[in-house]
Amino acid sequence: MKSMIRSMSMVLIALFAISASASAHNWAPNGPVKLLIGFAAGGGADTQARLIAQDIEEAVGWEIIPEQITGKGGLNLAMALKDEPQDGTVIGMVATETLGYNLRAADVGVGPNDFTAIATTAGFQMGIVAKSDMGWKDFGDVVDAAKSGRAIRFGTMSPRLSDLAYLLGKAQGIELNIVEVKGGKAVMNGVNGGDMDLGFMAGIQAKGVAAGDLVNLASALSVPLKQTPNAPLMKDYGLEFNSDGYFVFIGPGGMDKEVRDTWIAAISNAVKKEGSRSNGMISKAFGGPTVISGDTLQAQIVKEFEDAGRLMAVASQ
Amino acid sequence: MELLAYIPLGIDAVFGPASRISILGVALPLTPLMVLAGFVLGIVVGATPGLAGPMAMAVCLPILISIFGYGADALLPVLGFLIGIMKGATLGGAVPAILFNIPGTPDAYMTTLDGHPMAKEGKAYQALRIAHLSSVSGDTFSDIVLIVGAAFIAVAVEEWLDLPEKTALLIFSLSFIAAVIGSSVGKGLIAIGLGLFTAFIGTGEEFYPRLTGGTAILAEGIPIAAAILGVLIVGEIFKSLDDIRREGIKPTLAPQRTAGDSGKLSWSLLRRLFPHIGRSALVGTAIGALPGIGSTLAATIGYTLGAKIHARKRPFERPFGKGAPEGVAATEAANSSVSGANLIPTLSLGIPGNTAAVFLILAMDSIGGFNPGPSVFRTSAEINPELVIVFGLFTSMIFANLLNWTIGGVFMRHIGILTRVKKHILLPIVLLLTMTATYIQYTRLSAVVFLLFFGALGYAMRKLDISPLPFVVAFILGNQLEETARQAFAATGGDAFFLFNRPVAAAFMLLSLITIVVMSRQRSREIP
Repeated sequence: MKSMIRSMSMVLIALFAISASASAHNWAPNGPVKLLIGFAAGGGADTQARLIAQDIEEAVGWEIIPEQITGKGGLNLAMALKDEPQDGTVIGMVATETLGYNLRAADVGVGPNDFTAIATTAGFQMGIVAKSDMGWKDFGDVVDAAKSGRAIRFGTMSPRLSDLAYLLGKAQGIELNIVEVKGGKAVMNGVNGGDMDLGFMAGIQAKGVAAGDLVNLASALSVPLKQTPNAPLMKDYGLEFNSDGYFVFIGPGGMDKEVRDTWIAAISNAVKKEGSRSNGMISKAFGGPTVISGDTLQAQIVKEFEDAGRLMAVASQ
Repeated sequence: MELLAYIPLGIDAVFGPASRISILGVALPLTPLMVLAGFVLGIVVGATPGLAGPMAMAVCLPILISIFGYGADALLPVLGFLIGIMKGATLGGAVPAILFNIPGTPDAYMTTLDGHPMAKEGKAYQALRIAHLSSVSGDTFSDIVLIVGAAFIAVAVEEWLDLPEKTALLIFSLSFIAAVIGSSVGKGLIAIGLGLFTAFIGTGEEFYPRLTGGTAILAEGIPIAAAILGVLIVGEIFKSLDDIRREGIKPTLAPQRTAGDSGKLSWSLLRRLFPHIGRSALVGTAIGALPGIGSTLAATIGYTLGAKIHARKRPFERPFGKGAPEGVAATEAANSSVSGANLIPTLSLGIPGNTAAVFLILAMDSIGGFNPGPSVFRTSAEINPELVIVFGLFTSMIFANLLNWTIGGVFMRHIGILTRVKKHILLPIVLLLTMTATYIQYTRLSAVVFLLFFGALGYAMRKLDISPLPFVVAFILGNQLEETARQAFAATGGDAFFLFNRPVAAAFMLLSLITIVVMSRQRSREIP
């Protein structure tokens, strides 16, 4: 009986949600939606994407099927997504740098305007993180250790971050052994397992930092980290670049505006609704949702694509 | 959290209220039900000649994924089902071996040597009971070693092996597999090379996809499940169909009469069997823990060792090969004790030990949320969800063993009828199921084309007497090898000789070389 009441109320909620969304936007997918995920399975970003999918499914009743297309910094996903139908039945989640630095570096004649930017969900909480039993308090201690002759292994998870790590070392006059792995979780495993001394983590470190196992040595953003506001910025160590970026939902280029806006509403409602699965996860790992959407987001990504050239030029000097 | 604190979490993940589903108003835990279903299917499949555990795992996996989806809660029910098949098939394989002199699975071949003569003497039930007892004992022992050993090995690897050593360990594993599996070391190396080549298509660190010849279809890399199912299952089906075409359809065998055979095992008989069961369980477990060597070799070694000791200690009794109960016990305990230990390298290193483990890794890879390797066993302040899955897996295995001890024997004694199912009807059905299952998983036709292409490759490899298992293991490990090597190179500050100037890494490299050289010499001597 109890379950019957529950399922009936679920149906009512779903019907209500559908009618509610229908009143705002007329579009709804006419079948299951494929959600391509450009991040390694089991990592923080992957979890986030799946939770958002679940929240949307529950809220509006669309069937969303997640599919992993990883590799090449999200470009495998982008290339697969590019030629999919623009009717909103296939969307993907990547990081903003996929359509910025990575697309620029790949130089395959495809630009950010070959995609439709839908909405961001959260900003990176990118920190430079080490295990607390290394005894380092901030990145300055790492510089001292390197200057005293210690070989330092720096874990990164994308070519852009590798460039940043290289330039950071260069600015401080130290040489870092930069180990590029797949995903922030692999960096965390490497740091925890002793394969790396420190590395970039975009939010996955939150629990470890809270528990005292890990420490944010510096913020790799243009602003302080929400969790460790006192950690210095990379700017303080003489680096003019930062790793600002977001998790972003994208679609194939030329997506109908109504379709896009319906998706923006669905994603935004899911991540902003207090008590939803994705909201809980995003609040813990990334200090809360950040939704930038539509034309503003499109313009921002185009700018990131154009700016990427400067970082590449400096790093290759 | 301490490692031991994960035991109740694992049990809870399998039996706890969160994992229950409601069937006819009764809340039942899902994973144990899946283990039971897999176990029954496994016995049936094992008892059917021409089918084998891996085949059932292969066909079921995409279907299971389409039912349970890609969420973290899908992992345990799906893996539980596959483990059920794995355990059931080993047990079921003995049935046709004893009753009809046909090994249901390749590793049951040695069981025919003594089991079938026993059946001809009217002791079929006794032989089946011995097979059951030995199989379950071996399996349970092996699982205990896995549960105790996997975490220990993973922690040791993490503690002692740095990136260069991990790279060298992967190279050593591949060399070892090339050297011990298949008809010759050279052919093993060819299969490894092909597997690595396939793994490198469309992958790598660079932004442009390599080895794709500019085609879009290869740019995302080869679809893993399609390639593995193709080589292992479709290749086998093509080969069997070809054999049937050449040799014609064999007539169905009449079962041996078993009237007056109660099958009770007397205490004095049990006392004679126990040493053989114990020894073979040790042999099987040790072999299972080494990556790449399967249960067939374990059965052979267990049997040969048992035969030698039996002939020396009890020369006046019935020798192995003439219907000795000890022969059945020695074989079945050895081949069954491989399955648990095989998961030691699978879980702690991410290196699949045999074909069954390949499908477990494939399941973990397809569903996501669980990446086998040393990091799985990490304990820290927060709960490590992957470690909970590991202990859930252990709980499922123990549950499967309980099923094995209780209902396994009853089941196995009543399914002799299945051996009458005709191969030439069964195989096309399995082929169709595999193709459908692949399409369900990828929902694009190109995956089926890949499946058939790799099926043709698997067929060609079997025709040339090249074992497909080294190919598959290399294909699975190829990218891990490349990534670890790249990372080791970077971490050592661009040292090109990182594999040779550190003692442990150099030792692994030397061992790889020695394995290849010694095994190829030994093998060339075996050829008359």
